[in-house]
Formats: sequence, C-alpha cells, structure tokens
Amino acid sequence: MSRRLIGVGLMAGVLFLGTAVPAVSAQGSTPDDGDRVTLTIGLLQDLSSPNVTVGYLVSDFEVWNLQYASLTDKAAADFETVPGLAESWVASGDGLTYTYTLREGLQWSDGEPLTADDVAYTINRSRDEEWANHYSTVQNLDAVAIDDRTVEITSSVPDPKLPTMDVYIVPEHIYADLSVDELASYDGLDGVASGQYSLTSWRSGQDWTMTKNPNWYGRDNGIDQIVYRVFTNGDAMVAALQAGEIDAAHEVPRSALERLQGDANIETISGEQGSFTELAMNGGAGGIGDGHPALQDLVVREAIAHAIDRQVLFDRVALGTGSVGSVMVPSADPVWTPTLAADETFNFDPARANAMLDEAGYLDTDGDGIREMPDGSDPLNFRYVERSESEPAPAIREFVTQWLSDIGIGTEVQVMDDDQLYEASIAGEYDLFVWAWTPFVDPDPQLSYFTCDQLTTNVDEPGNNDANWCDPKYDELYQQQKVELDRDKRIEIVHEMVKYFHDNATYVVLLEDGDPQAYRTDRFEGWLRQPADTGPVLFSNSSPTYANLTAIEGGSGGGGGLSTGALIVIIVAGLVVIGGIALGVTRSRKTADDRE
Amino acid sequence: MSDVASYSPRTAAWARRRRSFSDGISRLRKDRVAMIGLVVLVGFVIMALIAPWMSPRGGLSAVDSINNPTWHPPSRDFPLGTDHLGRSVAAQFVWGSRVSLLVGFAATVLTITIGSLVGISAGFFGGWTDAVLMRLTDWFLVIPFLPLAIVLAAVLDRSIWNIILVIGVTSWPSTARLIRAQVLTVKTRLYVDRARALGASRPHIVARHILPNVAPLILASVTLAVPIAILTETTLAFLGLADPTQNSWGKTLEEAFGAGAIGRNAWWYHFPAGLGIVAVVLAFTLFGRGLEEILDPRLREEGARR
Repeated sequence: MSRRLIGVGLMAGVLFLGTAVPAVSAQGSTPDDGDRVTLTIGLLQDLSSPNVTVGYLVSDFEVWNLQYASLTDKAAADFETVPGLAESWVASGDGLTYTYTLREGLQWSDGEPLTADDVAYTINRSRDEEWANHYSTVQNLDAVAIDDRTVEITSSVPDPKLPTMDVYIVPEHIYADLSVDELASYDGLDGVASGQYSLTSWRSGQDWTMTKNPNWYGRDNGIDQIVYRVFTNGDAMVAALQAGEIDAAHEVPRSALERLQGDANIETISGEQGSFTELAMNGGAGGIGDGHPALQDLVVREAIAHAIDRQVLFDRVALGTGSVGSVMVPSADPVWTPTLAADETFNFDPARANAMLDEAGYLDTDGDGIREMPDGSDPLNFRYVERSESEPAPAIREFVTQWLSDIGIGTEVQVMDDDQLYEASIAGEYDLFVWAWTPFVDPDPQLSYFTCDQLTTNVDEPGNNDANWCDPKYDELYQQQKVELDRDKRIEIVHEMVKYFHDNATYVVLLEDGDPQAYRTDRFEGWLRQPADTGPVLFSNSSPTYANLTAIEGGSGGGGGLSTGALIVIIVAGLVVIGGIALGVTRSRKTADDRE
Repeated sequence: MSDVASYSPRTAAWARRRRSFSDGISRLRKDRVAMIGLVVLVGFVIMALIAPWMSPRGGLSAVDSINNPTWHPPSRDFPLGTDHLGRSVAAQFVWGSRVSLLVGFAATVLTITIGSLVGISAGFFGGWTDAVLMRLTDWFLVIPFLPLAIVLAAVLDRSIWNIILVIGVTSWPSTARLIRAQVLTVKTRLYVDRARALGASRPHIVARHILPNVAPLILASVTLAVPIAILTETTLAFLGLADPTQNSWGKTLEEAFGAGAIGRNAWWYHFPAGLGIVAVVLAFTLFGRGLEEILDPRLREEGARR
C-alpha cells in the first residue's frame, strides 16, 4: 500500500493560465450554490488513478476513503479502531478468527444491497490477485460470508493488525464482471460507493467531483458535493482561498503561511501524520536496475549521509514545519518510530565523509573535483532525480547537490513527473532520487515495501520496493513483527527494523514533513484533525473530517472581492499572454513585411 | 597611370564596400535609438563577461548562503535583496545574463545557419529543391512554435545545449523564407547573368555574387533573431524545461514564481530578471531595426524617418 506525498507542479505557466483565470469567476462563491451545497478543496496534486488496485497517490487515497467504507473505521482523535460497515465483531479463542456483523440495511449508492458477500469477495480477490493497496493486510486472510450480515475472517497466522481491516470494500456486482486484465486498465469511474461520497467526474489536471451517497450509513453532513480543484501554482491556490473560491487548501506553500495567518477567516495548520521526505540511494542489493556501482558500497552511502545537513533543510526548506529528518517513519502513530541517540545517526560531518571516501580508495585521480572508483574507472557522477510536481524539490536540490559536490561527488539532475519517477524507482533505474512517503497507522505496509518480495522483477507485477534493497535479516524481522501479538514486543521489533534500515543508509531521511493546510472558518465548521491536535484536516489517514462538517448558515466567505494576490496573479498571467502575442506578432510581421 | 595600373575589379569592389561600410557606420551613428540599443547591449555583454569578478559564484549557492537572511529586501549588503534561500538576487542577475545571452547568441547562430542554407539553396536552385525545401519550411511555420518547443524540450534531456538546439530547430523557417526571397531577386540581376554567361560555376556565383548581396539581410535577421531566442529560453526556463542547474533569468523567474515571491510582494526577486530580459530584448530590437534600415535599401527613406 504505497502512499506517496506530492507537491507543486512546475509546469506552472501553461496550465496555470487554465487554473488562474477560472479562479476569478464567481464559481462557488457561497457554500450554498443554488440548491446544492458544495465544499471546494484546492490542492496541487492530481489523481493518479481512481482505480483502487492501481492508484498510489495521497489524493487517490482521499477519494477511496470517501468512496469505499471499510469493515472498521478509525477514530479521528487517536486512530482507534471503531465500527465501520461492521457494527461489531468477536474474536475466536485462538485469536485467528474474527466474526464481523454488518450494520443493518446497508446499500450501495446505486441501491444494490451491500452484503457480507461483497466483503468476502473483496478480501479474497485482493489476496488472490495481490492488489498492491490491500495485499499486506489480506495476505494471510480468508473471508467467508456466513449470511448477509455476517462475515468470518480467518488468518492463517497470528495477526496483530486484526480486528482492524484496512480494506476498501468494492462492489461485487461491478467488479465480478472485470477480469484481471480488465481490472488493471479499469478507470474506476463507476461511481458506485459504499462510503460517504462517490466519484462522479474527473477531469485530469483540472478537478474531480464527489457526490453525496444518500445510502451511506453515517451522519448526513448536508454537503451535496465536494469539488477538488487542482492548482498548478501554490500562490494561485492561496489567492483563491483568500478570495473564498475554495474552502480549504492542501499543501499550502510554506512561504504563504505567514500571510494567511493574518486572515481572520482562515485557519492554518501543519498536519503531521508521519510523512517524510527521503533521499533514496540505489544500493543495488535487490539486484535490479542500473544503479551506479559505487552506491553498492555502504561506505559511499554512509559518506553521503554524513554530507547532508538535515538541520539546514529543516530551517531553510521546511521553514520550521514538521521536524528534522531522522529515520524512516513506519506509522502515523509516533510510538512505532525509534528515537536515535546522537551518536547513532549520520551527523553532518563533511570532513569525515571525505576521509571515509579517501580511505575506501575513492580518489579524485584526474583532478576534476569528482572522485573515481578505486580502480580509477567510472567517476562518482550520480543521476539525481527530483519530482517536477514538488514545491520544495528545487530548494532541496540546491543544497544536496552542493553538499555532494563538497565531498567530491558529482550529480546530474533529472526532473521527472510522478509516473516517470515511479516507474524508474521501482525498476531500480536511478542512482539517487528525492520523494516522500506518508505511512499508514499500522507499520506493516510501510515496512513491507522494503522486503525482497516487493522488488519489481516483472514489470507486469510492480512492487513497491523503490530502494532496490533486499536483506535476509530485514525480511526475517518483518515476518516476526507480522505475527507478533504482543504489542510491546512488536514495537521493539519494528524499532530494530527501522534502525537496521537506517544503518544501511539506503534512505537518508531529509525531513519529517508537516503538511501545511489552511481552511476557511466562515463557511463550514467542524474541521477535524486526525490525530487530534497535530494531524491534518484533509488527506488524513481515514478522512474523518468530512462527516463532521456543517455548512454555516449564510456563510458567504470572501466571495466577491479580489485579493491583491489574485490580482497580481492575473496581471502576471496577462503579461504572459501579452508577451506571447507580442512574440507571435514580431514573428509574423517579420515574415510578412520582409517577404518580397 | 599607376592608379590605372593598380585598378582592378577587385580593388574597385573593395573600395565600394569600404565606402558603403563607412557610410553605414555614419548613418548608424546618427540613429540615436539604435545607438542607445547598442550601448545597452554592450553593457550587458560586458557584464556577462566579467560576471566572475563582479559577483563570486558562491553567491548563487544555497549552502554558502545559509547565514544570510531570507526574503531580505535590497540593502547595502544585498543590492538586490535575497531570495527564499538567502541567495543574493544580484548574483543571480549577473550570472543569469551569461546563460541568457549565450543561449540567445548560440541559438541564433543555429537558426541563421539553417535558415540561410535552406533559403539560399531553395532560392538559387529553384525547381524541385525549392518546392521541397519550401514545403518543409511551410510545415515548420504552421506548427505552433511554443508547443513544439515545449514538446521537444520535454523529450530531450534538460541541458543548455538542448535548449539551444530546440530554439534553433524551431525558429529557422522565417529566416529561410526571408533569405530565399532576397536570393530570388538577386539571382535575376544582370551581373549574375553576365557572370553565368562568362562561365562562372554555381559555387562561384553563390559565393561571390549571391552571398555578399544577402549578407546584410542575414546580419539584420541575426539581430532580430537573438531577442526571440532569448525570450524563448526565458519561456522554456519559466516552464521548468531548462537545465535546473543553470542560472538563467528565466530560471530566476520560475523560482521566484514557485517560491511565492509574487504573493509575498517580494518584487526584488523577480523584477531584476524581468527587467533584464526586457532591456536586452528591447536593445537588440532597437539596434536590429536600425541596422536593418541601413542594410536594406527598401527601408531607407531619407528624411521620412523620425
């Protein structure tokens, strides 16, 4: 279950005109838009796919959290397991079998009854076909529908995750018609929901709309639809929020937070749920791809880790949101993350990094400032991939590439979009890349990504192991924690795994990210952070905020007036257009009047 | 008599060229607008050349700037302020001129080379060559320029040479048409017919009679192609398609936009680069127009101008 965190689009200019101009139209100036109450959310990330077996982005998970109810849900405050589709459950004496009782009268949004058959179907099929987003949960499970409202789930091994069931229940009456191949290319736009809202339209790069499911079991929040608008520039999104065209914004540029804090109707938060940004190094232990041979040497990876000043990244790039990077974070719940002593971490020490490389024989023999392999061949020139969609990526690159050059390591910067980087990373076709993860509550999925099992050896069955890392000790620990029912012992094993992963310097965790979000307080009330006090309100683990919202009567927001920010954005857009036209005119005039 | 003895068509031609050259220079000198353009241009070229002495390269480095304040407005220490990483905007401006001018000139050389080759071949050889080359030119002309450049830049690796290549291969068609038209008129002049009647070879005619007569036009289109190349580089860099490690003015604009300088009203971050582009492009255009008027007799209307 990968869950990637995404930032700002750099293809700004082209698409930006498309988003900035509608931002000034009257669209959605009140939450009560005619007869329909609309909640509008701005973000910088498009969907990768609404298909629950294919998508991998945080935005995709937000759609599924709303569209597909699970057997169990998670409390907003502390992730505690609470009833979802199942109203209750009992464990058998040996703890291997759980019997869930579904709520009465459950229906899909299209009116079909939602029964235990749907539940059993989803669990068994996602196990058989190894659906990437479910597999670590259902791997050892077998589900049997006893009657319409009773489903019995048996695990072949002790499973500490039960009775929590992080499985999006999909409609059997739609999915049964899709073969394995058809499912792989399915667009996921059937609009049939068991959850609160169903996805009814998606215009890639522009927006998607989720419409209320009248048959949902939970509280009716009175909001008929939720529109997610994709912005390609953070400033334009901030301007739209200030103007009241959107009600909330995800991944607000950190440089704009100060400005928004001055607005009485806008609340800003830094949502923390275990997200982290890593510099991944292709250690090659997984045996796939085409990584640089030097990176297979632990000494080189350690030297790189020592060359990076994470405190500076926190101060200068994160601007104090989140916290200083340390280790891979396996869970949104901090109890699973070990705290390393100062001497256990790779502290910033370029002199030591240089000495380590010198000693290991990586010397700059030709005097060009870049070290070569001990045998004098290949220079240590590493491909460094960053995401075009990331807001902090350019700043991170400015720092990291220079720190590397300070220890005699060259970089060749490549910029990729999420799909390209995803494919390159799981194929091991990179040397270094910077991306981010947002983990789930149970540490199992995040830990599973770095097992040998998750290596992509066949492109038709992609795994999540983008670290090209495969280690028997790690795998063994992974299997141990997976069946350890004693929570304290399991925490200990997980801590050991995370430390082991850290010590092998496969990921250098650059930052623990806080997701800057902002929402208007004059249109809707009841915004919930998950977990309480520190978490995000949007794009949180199980998205409980939506069911808790209520439209404020007569709340009209900033509506009509244009903020200075919006105005400047329009002027810039206008200048770009005029510039473009002027360029065109110059060109065409030149051809016209110089022709004989 | 010795004058007569040393008199040959060659010396006569050179004397004529010298005369028209000094004539052109004095005309240019009188064209104040063109001279202003030239002065501004020379200023920027000098700045680009002496960048290392004006501003240490460390000013561009985020790592070397970690003790600088961020988003600092212009002050004595930072004449153009600092950006979101504490880097000096002045350093970015000075170093950015290098990339912008380099790309501008290099892409123009490519544009003009391709354009001249195609234009002269099409115009001089006529017939099938002309038809094929002109259809190719038309084809390039009707493709929307910017989308083509964006697609090419996105497909190729991000390097400064690829940006030059992209601009070069997308902007030659208008030059080709222009030069072909001039070649067509020159080709029908009497002295070309005479040369041919005297048995001159084609390469001789092209080199000695056609080329010298289209050279002024080529020179004029150079000065007009450079600003277009610079603007295109800026556009591509602003769209994030340029080499992210090269500091150009377009990249400064892109970074300022991405870092939220506009929303913060940190005008000192994006204004210098923007004004730099405007100044260089304007200077080239003014100078280029002035040059064109002198070199192209059809545009020379004494007294009517200004």
